Amino acid sequence: LAEFEAFFRGHYRAVVRLAQNVLGDFQLAQDVAQDVFVAAYRRFPGGYEQAGGWVRVAAVHTALNVLRGERRRDRRQLRVAPPSSPPSAEDAVIEREARAEVRRVLRRLPRRTAAVLVMRHGGMSYAEIADALGVKVGHVGTLLRRAEAALRKEFDDETHL
Amino acid sequence: MKHISEGVLRRLDDEPLAVPDRVTEHVAACARCQARGAEIADDAKRAARLFAAPQLVPDLDAEWARFGQQLRRSEASGAGAGAGPGPGRVIVDRPRLRSPRVSLRAGLAIGAIGFVVVGAAAAASLTTIFAPTQVAPVSLSRGDLQAIASLTGLSDNQLLGGFPTPTGSTTARFGTITWHSSPAYQTTSLAQATAAGRFRIPLPTKLPTGVGAVQQFIVQPRVHATVTFNSTAGSLDGSSVTLVAGPAVLAVYTSAGGTDLPALAVATMPRPTALSSGASTGQIEAFLLRQPGVPPQLAEEVRLLGDLKTTLPVPVPSGASVRSIRVGGSPGVLLADSSNALAGVVWEDASGMLHLVAGLLDPQDVLNVAKQLG
Repeated sequence: LAEFEAFFRGHYRAVVRLAQNVLGDFQLAQDVAQDVFVAAYRRFPGGYEQAGGWVRVAAVHTALNVLRGERRRDRRQLRVAPPSSPPSAEDAVIEREARAEVRRVLRRLPRRTAAVLVMRHGGMSYAEIADALGVKVGHVGTLLRRAEAALRKEFDDETHL
Repeated sequence: MKHISEGVLRRLDDEPLAVPDRVTEHVAACARCQARGAEIADDAKRAARLFAAPQLVPDLDAEWARFGQQLRRSEASGAGAGAGPGPGRVIVDRPRLRSPRVSLRAGLAIGAIGFVVVGAAAAASLTTIFAPTQVAPVSLSRGDLQAIASLTGLSDNQLLGGFPTPTGSTTARFGTITWHSSPAYQTTSLAQATAAGRFRIPLPTKLPTGVGAVQQFIVQPRVHATVTFNSTAGSLDGSSVTLVAGPAVLAVYTSAGGTDLPALAVATMPRPTALSSGASTGQIEAFLLRQPGVPPQLAEEVRLLGDLKTTLPVPVPSGASVRSIRVGGSPGVLLADSSNALAGVVWEDASGMLHLVAGLLDPQDVLNVAKQLG
């Protein structure tokens, strides 16, 4: 377990960051990270050289699963009309809504598109993303470009409703 | 040469050294590729902004300890080995949505305990700001406080002023609340306070006019408070939630005018955490919010915190004004009473420490002190 502890401490923050990029929720992101590391502990008995990339990808996919699984609950919450907030709290409300919108868009995008966005903006390099998605590194720019264009389109559609 | 593909233009924006020289040479000479590149870079920047949420730093020691517990629990439940997906393609394990760890958002009563815990250190001099445990404002009327008091079995004075004793218990409608800690104590030595807290205590170097020297440090040792739900709590029966808060250190400054009233207080403590024996945040929240006596407006505010599981709510007394601010890059809340004579700032820094600065001062003065600490 001592060897795994070094691996855990070396990669935990990056994994939480990726999950938080999907979920917008630090505590839930840590819950996802815990599950991912438990799975990694079982999957890589003894050697963890290959596990660094694996835990990152698992975090992204697991967080996307959680996000999509919560869709129904979120819709229910959206039906609750917000109370009239004091104007002074406006910034906080705008920030919260923007985060909520990112998550709504991540749910709608195809899984690989959502994953590439989260990976890149969660700090993974092109080489790491290529490895994670099983594509050539030269193809990552194309996937990322398409994903960012799709994000822009979805976001524009959403805000113009 | 053909025009550069969008994928390569995208990578040029991120990793310019990774693309061949002929690409950069082409773009330098091609107005069309430059225009496409600018559009692509705009979309990339926009995406980066959308994902640029405040990143909190996990407490690695606590999370490693929690990992050990998770592992034992999953081994006890007989989960098979090697049940994961191939690296990077598919979802490995669907994570359990039953979170073993919940935030204060878990419910009103837990929130109330949070107020009490932090209040134990801070409330003596800062009763208007009940609990510097969150950075999202939640309006709290006197009626709301009474409703929480009735739910938890603590008097509303106790909610504001801390638990009545360092160790004890009370019976609520839905279960029991027990707490244990050591009594708060005072010291005049920063070194002693730092040793007790085991964290750095940031203090302002430039004080507003009217604020004198540090009078004393109040140290509240760590508090554990556990809610154990009973059979009236339905599916929560038998489960428990433990809130761990503190230690907290409160630096109290005298007034330069020589009155006994403290003019400024600076509190520092690690972010409180709550551990659940099994019930999820959603279950606990849903149960508590449907308790009779919970004011509908308050319930709605708590529900609307929605995704803010990681953001601790700051109770805002009725009549106070509230503003979102940033301290050292971290989001915070600035509260002021209607006359602007009393103000407080609460924020959580990137390392997970909570800070409260409050005083009988103009809000701008309080904010200036806070910014020295952030």
